[in-house]
Amino acid sequence: MSTPAISIQNLTKEFTPPSVLKRGAITAVRNLSLNVEAGHVYGLLGPNGSGKSTTMKVVLGLVTPTAGKTFIFGKDSRDVESREAVGFLPENPYFYKFLTGEETVHFYGKLCGIRGKMLNDRTRELLALVGLEDAAHRRVGGYSKGMLQRIGLAQALVQDPRLLVLDEPTAGVDPAGSREICDLILKFKARGLTVLLCSHLLSQVQEICDRIGIMHRGELVREGPLDQLIAIENQTELVLENASPELLKELRAKIASSGARVVGEGRPQQNLERYFLEVTSDAKKSNQ
Amino acid sequence: MTATTPSATAHNSAHKLFSLGRVSAIAGNTLRDLVRQKVFYFMLVFALVLIGTSLAMAVLSFQGQLQTVMDVSLGAMSVFTMLLAVLSTAMVLPKDIEDRTLYTILAKPVARFEYLLGKLSGVVLMLLIATLLMTVFFCVVLWFWQGREIANISTFAQPHLVDAEVAKVKAGTFTGTLFGGIGVIFLRAVVCSALTLMVSTFATSWLFTVIVALMMILIGHLVPIARSVWMDPMQAGVDMPWHLSLFLRVITVFFPDMQLFNIVDDIAVGTHVAAGIFGQVAALGGGYVAIYVLVAYLFFAWREL
Repeated sequence: MSTPAISIQNLTKEFTPPSVLKRGAITAVRNLSLNVEAGHVYGLLGPNGSGKSTTMKVVLGLVTPTAGKTFIFGKDSRDVESREAVGFLPENPYFYKFLTGEETVHFYGKLCGIRGKMLNDRTRELLALVGLEDAAHRRVGGYSKGMLQRIGLAQALVQDPRLLVLDEPTAGVDPAGSREICDLILKFKARGLTVLLCSHLLSQVQEICDRIGIMHRGELVREGPLDQLIAIENQTELVLENASPELLKELRAKIASSGARVVGEGRPQQNLERYFLEVTSDAKKSNQ
Repeated sequence: MTATTPSATAHNSAHKLFSLGRVSAIAGNTLRDLVRQKVFYFMLVFALVLIGTSLAMAVLSFQGQLQTVMDVSLGAMSVFTMLLAVLSTAMVLPKDIEDRTLYTILAKPVARFEYLLGKLSGVVLMLLIATLLMTVFFCVVLWFWQGREIANISTFAQPHLVDAEVAKVKAGTFTGTLFGGIGVIFLRAVVCSALTLMVSTFATSWLFTVIVALMMILIGHLVPIARSVWMDPMQAGVDMPWHLSLFLRVITVFFPDMQLFNIVDDIAVGTHVAAGIFGQVAALGGGYVAIYVLVAYLFFAWREL
C-alpha cells in the first residue's frame, strides 16, 4: 500500500487561554486519526469551531500538537522538509499589497528555491492556469476577492506540490468565481494531485470530494467515501431519457407486481449554480 | 503543473536546513515593504532637516562651531535611527500575523529562524540605507562648514598662520573617528532592532512591542549603574537586601548596556577614540544581536500561529 498523503494519528490539540484567570485548557481537536490517500480529494467538514482549521494548521506545522502525530507523505509535519510537497491556501488570504501578481508568485517561488528562467516560466504557466495573465502586472492590493483566491492558488502551486491544502477556497467569492475555483480543483484532481479541502459549501464538497470527514466539537464523527456515506441503502435511482408513457406504465406495473415501491417520480433538475452561470454568460454574450 | 514541466523537479531537490536564498527573498520583500511606509520618509526628512539646521545652530552658538554641527547631527542620527529601528521592527511580525501572510510563508519549506533572520535583515538593510543617506547629507553639511571656516581663516587669520589653520580645520573635520562613530550609531540601531524583534515574538500587539522595547532601551542606559552597585555594593555605599541584588542582576543580564554606545557623545565633542574601542563596541554589539536573535527564535519556535 502506498504512503498516505496525510496521516493523522491520535491527534489532540489543547489551547491554554492566555488570560490571567486561566480556567483550564480548551480542547480544539480530540484524539483524531485519519488518512488521506494520495490522489484523493478529501473534504474536512464541520461547523465553526469544530477543529478543522486547527487540524490543518497542525498538518502544516503551524501549530504543535498536544498529543499524537501528523505526517505528510511519511514525513513528520513538524519537519520543515515535509512542506516541500505542500501548497496551502488559507481562508481569506492576504498577500503583500505592494507586490504585483507576478511578483507575488515570484516571491513564493524563491521561498521554494526556484530561481531564474525556471521561476519565470513557472510563474507565467501558473498565472495562465488561474486566469490572471492580464492582471499579472497589477498590484495585489487592487485585486478582487476572487482574484486573491486565484493568486493564492497560484502561490500554493508554485513548487509543484503533491498535496494542496485549501481552507475555504471559495469563501466570499461570487458564483462565477466560485465555479472557476471548483473547476480548477477538479483539474488538479484529474492530474493526480491530493487535495485536503475545508469548506462550508456542501454542494461543492459533494461535487469535488472522493471522501469526507465530518468533525464536531473536535472529534471526527463520520468518515468515509462520500458516495457510500450519503447513499440511501434500500433505494435505487433510475434516470431514463426519451422514455415513452407506455414504457413508464409498464415499468410501474412491473415494480408494483415485484413488491417494490416507487418512492418518487419526476424530472431531474439541473443544479441552480449551473443554471445561474448559463443565464449570466448568455446575458454577457448578448451585451457584447 | 504536470510532471513534465521543468519546474516539476523543484520539490525533488534535497531540502537545505538553511538557505541564504530564502532569507534574502524575505529580506528583500521586507525592505521593499518598509521603504514604502510613509513613516520612513517622515523620519528621514526630520533627521535631514535637523542635520541641516545644525549649520545654522553652529553660527549662532557660543561653543566651538564644529562641535555644535557634530553634536546636533550625530544626535539627530542617533535618535532617528533608533526610532526607525524600533518602529519598523515592531511592525514586521504582527503585520504578517494579522494579514495571515505568515501562514502562507511558513507553509512553504521555510524554517522559522530563516523567517526571523530574513525579517531582521530587511530592517537592517533599511537602517543601512537611512544611515547612508543621513551620512551623505551630514558630509555635505560638514563640507559647507569646512568651506566657510577656510574662507574665514583666509580673510581674518594672519597670513603666516593660514596654511597651518586650514590644515587643522581639514584634519579635524572628516576623521576616521567620526565615521567610526557613525558606524556605532548604526550598530546601536541594529541592536535596538534585534531587541524589538525579540519582544515582538512574544508580544500581542505592535503598540505593546514598541512600549516594551523603548522601556528596555531606556533601562539599558542604567545598566552600568546597576552593574557597579551589584558588583561592588560596599563601594557604592549600599547595604543591599537580596531582592534588590536580584533585581540588579536581572537588569544587568537581560537589558542591553546602551551606555556602551555613548562613545558617540565623546566623538561629538572631538575626543579621539582608538580603533580598539570601536572593535570592542562592535564585538559587544554583535553579541547582543546574536543573543536577541537566538532568544527571539526560541520564543517564535514555540509560538502557536
